[in-house]
This record gives sequence, C-alpha cells and structure tokens, in this order.
Amino acid sequence: MNKDLEKLLFNPVRLKILSFLLTVESASFKKLMEVSNATKGNISIQIKKLEDSNFIKIQKKFENNYPLTSCKITSKGKKSFELFFESLKAYKQD
Amino acid sequence: MTNSEQIKIINDTINKTRTNLKPLSFNLIFWGIFINIMSLIHYVFPEFIQQTYYSSALYWILLPMFGMIYMTRWNIKKYTEIGYSTTLNRAIKIIWGVFGFGWLMIVLVSMYEGINPVPDILFLLGLVIIMTGMIIKFKPLTSGGMVLFIFIFALHQNPDQNFLIVNMIGVTLGLLIPGIMLNKMKCNE
Repeated sequence: MNKDLEKLLFNPVRLKILSFLLTVESASFKKLMEVSNATKGNISIQIKKLEDSNFIKIQKKFENNYPLTSCKITSKGKKSFELFFESLKAYKQD
Repeated sequence: MTNSEQIKIINDTINKTRTNLKPLSFNLIFWGIFINIMSLIHYVFPEFIQQTYYSSALYWILLPMFGMIYMTRWNIKKYTEIGYSTTLNRAIKIIWGVFGFGWLMIVLVSMYEGINPVPDILFLLGLVIIMTGMIIKFKPLTSGGMVLFIFIFALHQNPDQNFLIVNMIGVTLGLLIPGIMLNKMKCNE
C-alpha cells in the first residue's frame, strides 16, 4: 500500500471525511463537522491536508453574506481511496 | 488504529449517507397545488383569463415561471441547509430541469401554432414522473405517472373534454397525491 496514503488516512477524521465524500456529490463544512464529530479547527486542518494531497477540492463562496465552504472528492481521491480500501480488505483476509 | 477499525469507520460513515427525499416531496406538493389553483381560477373565471388569446398564454407562462424561480431559490436554500447532495439528487435535478425547458418549449410552440398545449405537457409530465418514481424506487409516483398516460389517452380519444378539469385530475393524481405520500414516508433511501 502507498505509505503516504496510509499515513494520510490513518487519521480517523480524515478517513471519515473521505469516506463520506466518496458517497456524495459535495458536502458542506458544517456537514463534515457533523459526520466526523470534529471541531471547526480540526476539520479546517484536515481538509487542508486532503486538499494539499489533491484528494479533495475545496470551494468557498458567499451565500447571504455568510461564507460557505463545500468539499468535493477528486478523481485522484476516489481512485486512491478505492485502492486503500481494497488493500485494507486484503490485509484483513491475511 | 487497526485495519478492522478503519474498515468499520468507512462502513459506518458510508451507511450514514441517505438521500433526503423531503425536498422532492415538497416540490411535488407545491406544483400539485399551484397548477390546481391556476386551473381552478381559469375554470371559474374563463372570461377574465381568456380576454384575449395572449392573456391566456401569458397566464400559463408567467405564473409558472414565477413558480419555477421561487422553487429554484427554495431548493438551493434547502440543499444548503441539508449540507450535502448525492448523485441521486443530481439526477433528479437534471430530469426536472429538462422538464422545465421542455415545458417552456411546448408552451411557446403551441402558442405559435395555436394549439392546446395540455396533452403534450401532461405527456411530458407523465414521462418525467415515471422516470423519477423509478429512480427513487417509489411506486406511488410511478403509478401516478402511468395514470397521467391513461388521461392523455382518454383526452386523445375524446378531445371534447374540458382540458382544465383533465389537467386538475391529472396533476392531483400524478403530483399532489404521490407528493403527499412521499412526504409522509418516514425512512428515506
């Protein structure tokens, strides 16, 4: 398994974020907080790390003068996550 | 964190994802009521709506356009509140967006040709309702669309029927009742 990927997804918050984004088109920052049970600060750090690895894309816009952050998984993120999940299952079977 | 724990986190998170169908049900109910009220007003005050050929056409174009703008804004607000959108939501949005465009084309072409747009609109509506019902696996909606097809067939066989009454019954069976049933459903897929 890719060591960088393994290291990145070893964090449960990042793992939850990526698992959720895999099943939806896009999700808001607030929803990701709810899904991962993490604080605002923690989520900000984790999604930045995922974005730096090109696993997710962060979009920022304003709605009624309020900032709205939404995240979307990239095709690289999808492929890497699928590989990661397959290797996890293979390890479990061994 | 062990491999088993990681697999459990992934499975639990994926299982939490649900497509929220409540907004769709509100859309169906809104249009069911909206078109019924419009048809009823037209039925009760035909001399007012049909003052000129264009007044009736404008009535059936402008008011639904306002409805579309209102519902588009409502949907954007609702999905922002929900915080996520699934592929299923996107498919439904595209289907109904295409319906809106098709509806406008039918109304404009019918106006130009001087023909009644109701049978064509009901046909398109029936088609879109059946597609939506099959995609979300909700039988009452699929059945509602099929009932609309029966009405179109009846209209074709007997064109002397009052189009406004047919419109009201068709929209009630195809949109309003399935919309209420979808809204009452406790668990969404």
